[in-house]
Amino acid sequence: MELQDEFYNNAQYIETASGNKVSRQSVLCGSQNIVINGKTVIMTNCVIRGDLANVRIGRHCIIGKNSVIRPAFKKFSKGVAFFPLHIGDHVLIEEDSIVNAAQIGSFVHIGKNCVIGRRSVLKDCCAIADNTILPPESVIPPFTLYSGSPGKMIAELPDCTQDLMCDITVSYYQHFKPHGKGK
Amino acid sequence: MAAQNKIVNNPNLKIAVGALLCEGCEVIGDVTIGARTIIHPKARIIAEAGPISIGEYNIIEELVTITNKSSTDANSGKVLIIGNNNVFEVGAYVEAVRIGDHNVIECKARVGSKVEISNGSIIGTGCVLNMSEQLPDNTVIYGEKCERRTQRERPPTQTLQIEFLTKILPNYHYLVKPNMQPRPTATTTAPAVKK
Repeated sequence: MELQDEFYNNAQYIETASGNKVSRQSVLCGSQNIVINGKTVIMTNCVIRGDLANVRIGRHCIIGKNSVIRPAFKKFSKGVAFFPLHIGDHVLIEEDSIVNAAQIGSFVHIGKNCVIGRRSVLKDCCAIADNTILPPESVIPPFTLYSGSPGKMIAELPDCTQDLMCDITVSYYQHFKPHGKGK
Repeated sequence: MAAQNKIVNNPNLKIAVGALLCEGCEVIGDVTIGARTIIHPKARIIAEAGPISIGEYNIIEELVTITNKSSTDANSGKVLIIGNNNVFEVGAYVEAVRIGDHNVIECKARVGSKVEISNGSIIGTGCVLNMSEQLPDNTVIYGEKCERRTQRERPPTQTLQIEFLTKILPNYHYLVKPNMQPRPTATTTAPAVKK
């Protein structure tokens, strides 16, 4: 199935040399600590908290509207720290989700309105259904689908998940076009 | 950038010395913020029906909405008092009548306008409270069906996190300048005694 073209207002987005499209309405705190590797779309009203710790986002990721990417906090015996947050390639995070994870692998799909608990680790090729709440420090193994509150595994994903996620994120990026004449 | 200037023109905003209010928040109406309280960017505090008074050592994270709404006419004009050492996590929505001390309102939780939260309670991620009720001390609300239990002790204080944030946030954000000295006598001695 071919995706529909989705048009955005050219003035509302900044396109970088490496092909990232970042909405002007998003809030990137501490932008010197945020690395976005290219061809990633950051939509309106996202919040990315680079001020707390480093945030690295891979290629071909999509961060939906109103989502929050926020490094997680941990108290140690002496002092406190925020964990740096790494997100792999081809990751799709849909609207209104809150990501407090420590690490997200590649080819991961996070649905709408999810909460990913503090310091969770999402391995490669896993999926989180809409409205899921993952408790803190959960580890999501590859090729599983989690759903519910607290999130439980409800299904396995096919071996071709990697290709499916590649297709989705790449074609979404290609169909995310500015209004009027495309460049 | 235009939205960031909203706070500056609010004459009724009182921020105690030592509090951290990042620019980029929306603060409307008569709001008082106590010492050592941290308010992350993109939070919204709306004193629509009556003033909001926030105590000391609170953390209010991004996309949190705290409103004082006139739900019933009897309530309007009343002050929404939030105590000390509370944590409001990302995306929480609070309209409560009163909030005590040492509570945690987790991500995306909703607290309706007739709820009174006392002390040491945790409102779990995504839980919704709509009824008219007063929560007893140390209540925990959790899970999909908003089940309840009582815990033995209140959640730990976040003083370490507050200290850490007071160090790093000024490096990255423009802050709204405090304009209120902490109240004399009672409150000035309180933080030292506490803990």
